[in-house]
Amino acid sequence: MPTRSPLPRLCGLAGLVTLALCGGALAAPKKVTGYGNLGITNGKPGGTYTLALGDSPQSLFYYGVIDNNLGLISQQMFDGLVEFNYATYKVEPALAESWTVSPDGRTYTFRLRQGVKWSDGQAFDADDVVFTYSQIIMNPEARAGDAASFKLDGKQVEVRKVNANTVRFVLPRPSPAFLLQMRSFIMPKHKLLRYSQEGGAKPADINSAWPSNVRESEVVGTGPFRLSNYTAGQKVTLTRNPNYWKVDGRGTKLPYLAGLEFLIIRDPQAQVAQFLAGNLDQLNITGAQFPDLKQREVAGAPFKVFRSTALFGSPPFVAYNFDAKNAALAKVFSDVRFRRAMQQAVNRERIIDTVYNGLASLPGHGVAPINKEWYTNTTRQLGSFNLAAAGEALDAMGIRDTNRDGIRNLPGGGNLEFDLTYGTDSSVYPAIATILQSDFARIGVKVNLRGILSSRLLSTGQSGDWEMILHAFGDQPDPELRKPIWQPGGALYYWHRSLQPAQDGGRPNLTRMAPWEREIYNIFEDAAVTTSASRRKALYTRWQLLFAQNLPVTPIAKPENIGAVSNKFGNYIYNLGVIPGYNPVPLIYQK
Amino acid sequence: MLTYALRRILGMLPTLLLISVVCFVVIRLQPGSFIDQYLEDPRVTRETVESITRQLGLDQPAYVQYLTWIKGIVTEGDFGFSFVNGRPVSSLIWERLGWTVFLALLTLLVSWAIAIPLGIYTALNRYGPGATVLNFFGYVSLATPDFLVALLLIALVLNFGGTNVGGLFSPQFIDAPWSLAKFLDLLNHLWIPMIAIGLEGVAGLMRQMRASMLDVINQDYVRTARAKGLAGGRVLWRHAVRNAVNPLISLAGLSLPSLISGTIIASIVLNLPTIGPFLYDSLLNKDQYVAMTLLLFSALLLLVGNLLADLALAWADPRIRFE
Repeated sequence: MPTRSPLPRLCGLAGLVTLALCGGALAAPKKVTGYGNLGITNGKPGGTYTLALGDSPQSLFYYGVIDNNLGLISQQMFDGLVEFNYATYKVEPALAESWTVSPDGRTYTFRLRQGVKWSDGQAFDADDVVFTYSQIIMNPEARAGDAASFKLDGKQVEVRKVNANTVRFVLPRPSPAFLLQMRSFIMPKHKLLRYSQEGGAKPADINSAWPSNVRESEVVGTGPFRLSNYTAGQKVTLTRNPNYWKVDGRGTKLPYLAGLEFLIIRDPQAQVAQFLAGNLDQLNITGAQFPDLKQREVAGAPFKVFRSTALFGSPPFVAYNFDAKNAALAKVFSDVRFRRAMQQAVNRERIIDTVYNGLASLPGHGVAPINKEWYTNTTRQLGSFNLAAAGEALDAMGIRDTNRDGIRNLPGGGNLEFDLTYGTDSSVYPAIATILQSDFARIGVKVNLRGILSSRLLSTGQSGDWEMILHAFGDQPDPELRKPIWQPGGALYYWHRSLQPAQDGGRPNLTRMAPWEREIYNIFEDAAVTTSASRRKALYTRWQLLFAQNLPVTPIAKPENIGAVSNKFGNYIYNLGVIPGYNPVPLIYQK
Repeated sequence: MLTYALRRILGMLPTLLLISVVCFVVIRLQPGSFIDQYLEDPRVTRETVESITRQLGLDQPAYVQYLTWIKGIVTEGDFGFSFVNGRPVSSLIWERLGWTVFLALLTLLVSWAIAIPLGIYTALNRYGPGATVLNFFGYVSLATPDFLVALLLIALVLNFGGTNVGGLFSPQFIDAPWSLAKFLDLLNHLWIPMIAIGLEGVAGLMRQMRASMLDVINQDYVRTARAKGLAGGRVLWRHAVRNAVNPLISLAGLSLPSLISGTIIASIVLNLPTIGPFLYDSLLNKDQYVAMTLLLFSALLLLVGNLLADLALAWADPRIRFE
């Protein structure tokens, strides 16, 4: 079934027109239009926009280190074959002008946009795409590559150059979410060849490309900006890429801005101070900082504070360890009646009000509520805060306070008492943990708080050395991208670790799965190879309902995104973070 | 004196070796490892984690890692590489050393220039109203952490509509070439860290100077000098102050390591591009060779500072002899 969105055809048409007009020039720029409902207007060229960066980028090579700060900069310097529409989050053309998918769903053919140039003036073509995927992204030694996503059922995805403007990917089996992987940034072959195996280097050498003291002119991309200066620990300066391939509705070349600066400021309070002093033009803030900045805005400060429901981001959840070392606890935790009972003791409203200052909403089950394409409304299954009902449900399970010490006793006689592991260095976890602890105590469930560094939460989860944990995993546009988290037996499904296969990529332990876990497992297996969109939607709907009823983890809240931006700038769309293929900065202009 | 210095320098080697072992053990004892951050990302599979572990040599036994590192230092002057940045440690430290040394020396100079006269003044006018006020401020600034002072100053500047609320330069001057405007901008930013970091030092030094002045003032040789009819100023500066300043010379030697670790929090709050936050990060990330090199460097500075202080003492105080 060939899929072809109408936009590439339009762009193709625009390309033909340009061709006819310029007589020989092959440029086919992408026209960025259709965001009127987001308040986007035509801007004017010029100006410098200053943003904050939490720390110095560790390298300037996107696939060499996993580093948010590098991600934020890379987003402005590189593009993928496809990208997200800012309004609908649907995939649309970027460096690839159009594509076709073969009827069996295994062959993807991309026609590249013609006339695109790297920021140093060299032509961009199919060799760069093949090089990026085969030498970098699929290189298992690249530290921030994505080799695993390009191995399906143990077999490698093939990438081939058809001609200078066409690239073909052949998959061992159908994979409908494959198109989303094509958002990965394309790198210049002419600058990186000598770090690759093709250029005679060792596989791991790719990680040493473009270290943080690289000459600025070496870092070449197709993105709206290019690197112009990097002063360690202080500032990264980008300037407009004159060769950028997007234009606005009137045909004016994007980006509007002449420069983009990132001040390196580690402390969130220091960032706010710099924003208030006017040294930063835009800042992403937390719910805790919202009231102060909003008050200043209302009092006439020259900036606006925006809040928006988020699609991406990490909604916190609590999980109980089905394989807890204490056998009696493990038995109770694996019992769905227990998890449903305890959900009624989670005061989501209070957490949203007090911890997030009201800047959060009820969570979905694995899918963000704003994700119109996949979300199934499970709000009713979240239940409501009701301690009496929670207590009764525990009574009904036979978990009663038999020795009258105020703490319920497990069937074996021991107290229902366990540790809650949470991150101490977070602005929300400690407060949520305390609220949970005090509410649980009121129904005779004793929780001991065990604080660790937030960066250690995942490895602690995976080590199995915990009883109850407060943690967060990200929402993404397509559930397939979160398979390792939500599919039982997946690498990140750590609350039931005994399901995980003995070897990476092996078959998980199906016999130990609860019936509902088996069903979710099958849903993810099916959905991964189903090409029919409506069939996939039905499968993921079933998964969300199973999730909501059985609560492998108990989601707590979906925080909003909050940002503040100076009134000097127009066309601000909230930047959702480091997501390849989501890059609204080219539209921002100085008034 | 030369043989003494040489003997001291040779004596540092085993000490440093021992310190490096201790640093290594302490860093290894911390829970977790550098690899942990990779686990957070669903993109990273177990295979990738294994290959990174192999790339970094973290799969080798601890003693092999340590010996390889020490061997690199001794034979090639190579202090290992940063896991985080994928670059040699020495070049990373070098990048940050300039501003660190500049700020440390400047705060040291400023705090000495203020503290010593104040110490002498408060010692000589023990019960005067001036001394009482100065002592009071001394106590307050001793009790206030430097980062708090920094935050208060930032809030104050913001309230008055200033834009110099952190860092060493305004954004437009950070990578601009040197000019008079850039220098003035530096001065405009510099006073905040000088007050925040320097003030604490002033109070301590002032108390120290006051105490040793009080000690010295009643010594026999001062009284003798007075009795001989020497002018008050000459007695004070030639005899009393010169002797009272001795303990401060030792203190100055000890303050060298604060180049690295002295002002971590204030540097973070004030967004100063110094080595302190770099050390803090490397400890958090388990970037072991960076952390070990910085700790070792800090220890070396302490030893060198001590040696310099001893040599300076010998020069300042004729009673001290090494031979």
